[in-house]
Amino acid sequence: MKVKDILQSSEFHLISNESGLNKEVNGIFSSDLLSHVMGFAGENNILITVLNNINVLGVASLLDFSCVIFPHNVKVNESIINKANELEIPLIGTSLSTSKSVLSLYKLGVED
Amino acid sequence: MENYSKEFTIQRNDIGNAGTVSSLTKRELKRRGFSREFVKTVTIGVYEAEINVVIHSYGGTALLEITDDYVQITFKDTGPGIENIENAMTAGFSTASSYAIENGFGAGMGLPNIKAVSNEMDLSSSPSGTTLRIRFNICSDCYES
Repeated sequence: MKVKDILQSSEFHLISNESGLNKEVNGIFSSDLLSHVMGFAGENNILITVLNNINVLGVASLLDFSCVIFPHNVKVNESIINKANELEIPLIGTSLSTSKSVLSLYKLGVED
Repeated sequence: MENYSKEFTIQRNDIGNAGTVSSLTKRELKRRGFSREFVKTVTIGVYEAEINVVIHSYGGTALLEITDDYVQITFKDTGPGIENIENAMTAGFSTASSYAIENGFGAGMGLPNIKAVSNEMDLSSSPSGTTLRIRFNICSDCYES
């Protein structure tokens, strides 16, 4: 499964540009504490977080995440979007809660 | 491959640039043909240590050394030191500022994470500064096959 397949669902929309949409997706990780993310998340994971700052992209880049999903309609700063485009890390928004995002991704076929 | 040594400066509270040392370390390790798993392991340790210098100290340096046998990185800062190292090593214990927490740090997992991923870790601290040395042994499996 690829990042672009997530966008087939009307519940998710792309915040960044289209670079990186062909990245493979393998698993979901959700946390708003970056040390937990560093310690437990895996390569090609989708990161779900309400944490709206540049360090999210630092961690996403270091650990090679497939994309970052911001639930609860979190407003993402322009500087973060620009950095994500540069790093080719897709940013996806949704009005769903964190837990409903996980359930929805699971229904789309993302496991773990 | 030739031995490698590079020193970086880390500024206090420079959260926007936090991750620079780990990102450049990752790039150098990839260039040397290490496996993704080994690169990730080192990167986690270096990132956590780098963040600690940014959010807890007055600033400092990081010295990255790569030989045939190990990757080692030594962080030195200029204070204020860790009051209680035993507490700092306890998962979940945190003295992070609200500024750090707002930026997603301060889970109290930094030093425990570093210890978990590294082969050697030395930590010494006084009010005039903290030194943290972490080493990752290189084995034949550490390279991309």
